[in-house]
Amino acid sequence: MSDEQTYTVVGGRASMTVFEVYIKTTPERLWEAITSEQMRARYSFGVGTVSEWTAGSEYKSEVPGVVEIAGGKNLEVDPPRRLVQSFTALWSEDVQREGESRVTWEIEPVGTSCRLRVTHDQLGAEANNELYGGWPMILSGLKTLLETGEDLDTPGSLRYSEAGA
Amino acid sequence: MDEVFRALADPTRRELLDRLFEVDGQSLGALEKGLPMSRFGVMKHLKVLEEAGLVTTRRRGREKLHFLNPVPIRLIHDRWVGKYAEPWASALSELKTELEDEL
Repeated sequence: MSDEQTYTVVGGRASMTVFEVYIKTTPERLWEAITSEQMRARYSFGVGTVSEWTAGSEYKSEVPGVVEIAGGKNLEVDPPRRLVQSFTALWSEDVQREGESRVTWEIEPVGTSCRLRVTHDQLGAEANNELYGGWPMILSGLKTLLETGEDLDTPGSLRYSEAGA
Repeated sequence: MDEVFRALADPTRRELLDRLFEVDGQSLGALEKGLPMSRFGVMKHLKVLEEAGLVTTRRRGREKLHFLNPVPIRLIHDRWVGKYAEPWASALSELKTELEDEL
C-alpha cells in the first residue's frame, strides 16, 4: 500500500481503481509473467509488451503492424515486488485523448500464493472506462496461465493473437 | 469461490457493490447513507465483501476508503460463463454479424 497513490473524486468518478487477485505461484514466476513479452501476450488479448525493464526505460505494448495498445515509462522497477509505469493508451483516438495515467503492480507473497495488486491511478476527470476496463480479464488470464499453463479462451481474451500470428 | 457466491447472495451487499461501481473509493460514512440499517450492520456487510475479495480498502488519512475489485467476478465468468453460456453467446453474435452483413 502506497500513500503516494492519488485519489480524488472528480465529477462523481474516482481517479483511481484497484484490482487484486491471488495466484498460486512464486513472486519470481509472477514477475516473469508480467515482464516476458511471450508470456504477457498469452493473457493480454494476444498483445506482448517489450521493454528493458530498468528504471527510466520505455515500454511498448503492441502487435507490430496490427495494433498499438499502450506505451510509457518504467518509473520504478523493483523485481519481484513492485513495478510502477506511466501509461498512455493508444488503441483508439478516444483513449489517446485521455493522456497519461499511472499503473502500479505490487506483488506480495501470501502463504504459498501471491497477491497481485494493480492500481491504475492518476486517471483524468470522467476517465473513459475502457482505460482500465480490461484489467479483470487480463488478471484472470494471468491467474489461469500461471496455475494451469493454459490460455483463457473466453470471447475476446486472445483478440489480437491470430492477427499477429 | 464459495465466499464470492456467499457474498453476492445478499441484496444489501449487492447494493454496496453497485454504489462502489457508481463512485469507487467511498468511506463507510458515504456508503451507509440511505441504507436502512445501523453503521455496524453496514460494516459487517463490508467485511464479508472484503473477505471475498470483492472490496479492497486503502487508508487516506483517518478515512478507510473502499474500492470495488471486480476480478473475482471475472474469474467466475471465465470459469462458468465461458463453459456454459459461451456457445450461446457466440452463436448469437454470429447471427447478429450475418444479419448486419445482409443490410
